[in-house]
Amino acid sequence: MSQPAEPLVLPDLEQDTSTRADADLDRGWLVVCWNDPVNYMAYVTHVFQRVFGWNRQKAEHHMLQVHNQGKSVLMRETMEKAEHYVHQLQHYSLHATMERDE
Amino acid sequence: MRLLRANKNSLVFLFSESEKAVLLDILKLYPCVPPAHHRHRLQSQPAARDAENQRLLDEALAEQRTKTKRLLEGWLRSPRTFLATPAGFELHLRSGDFDWLLQLLNDVRVGSWIALGEPEELPRGLPEDETAAMQACAMELAGLFQMTLLEAIEDSAAI
Repeated sequence: MSQPAEPLVLPDLEQDTSTRADADLDRGWLVVCWNDPVNYMAYVTHVFQRVFGWNRQKAEHHMLQVHNQGKSVLMRETMEKAEHYVHQLQHYSLHATMERDE
Repeated sequence: MRLLRANKNSLVFLFSESEKAVLLDILKLYPCVPPAHHRHRLQSQPAARDAENQRLLDEALAEQRTKTKRLLEGWLRSPRTFLATPAGFELHLRSGDFDWLLQLLNDVRVGSWIALGEPEELPRGLPEDETAAMQACAMELAGLFQMTLLEAIEDSAAI
């Protein structure tokens, strides 16, 4: 697949203060998956493999954490990436949220 | 519904006429999970940003649902999806179809569970109330198709 040529635009060096606070950028965000009685264990494992590209063993480990401990922290990411993963997991109808890593 | 053939690129299931009708009825229930069910995060944060993030999540989910619904409609219209054979109907699934079909079945399962009041313990029998009975049936049948598909995907990965 071909890629479009990069436009010749100088980078904007001015700090963008209107969007994300520095604290948001410094601290990570945790992607958390919560237990529920309706999603099958095999389905949750499948979703973790798909969304995060994990092997079966790692996906099962986190699925069992969700099942036995009520939740599992799946990732520590930047805010944008954490949001992306939460959206993905919710589209698979899993109960996922993100929390600031304190 | 039983698996006839599996490889890394496709799965072929055999359906009876009534199984095919039930699957189509279940698929017609999509989307089933109410959009408000998905919350952005638990931790409190400034209300304006949280509302904005929630709006973005709702938009992203609505967009993905529209896309999935379109895939479903095209898939159901295709004469190659269900092939009539003397033994019944062969359902042909390409590898690209596994994932959205699972998502869709799970949406019906979870959405039916939400409609039942999100019980911690799933109903073992049919509720007496007719609406609740339909929701319990949809939840179990979507789950049955989902598990059959998951087992077949696992088998095909082992090939």
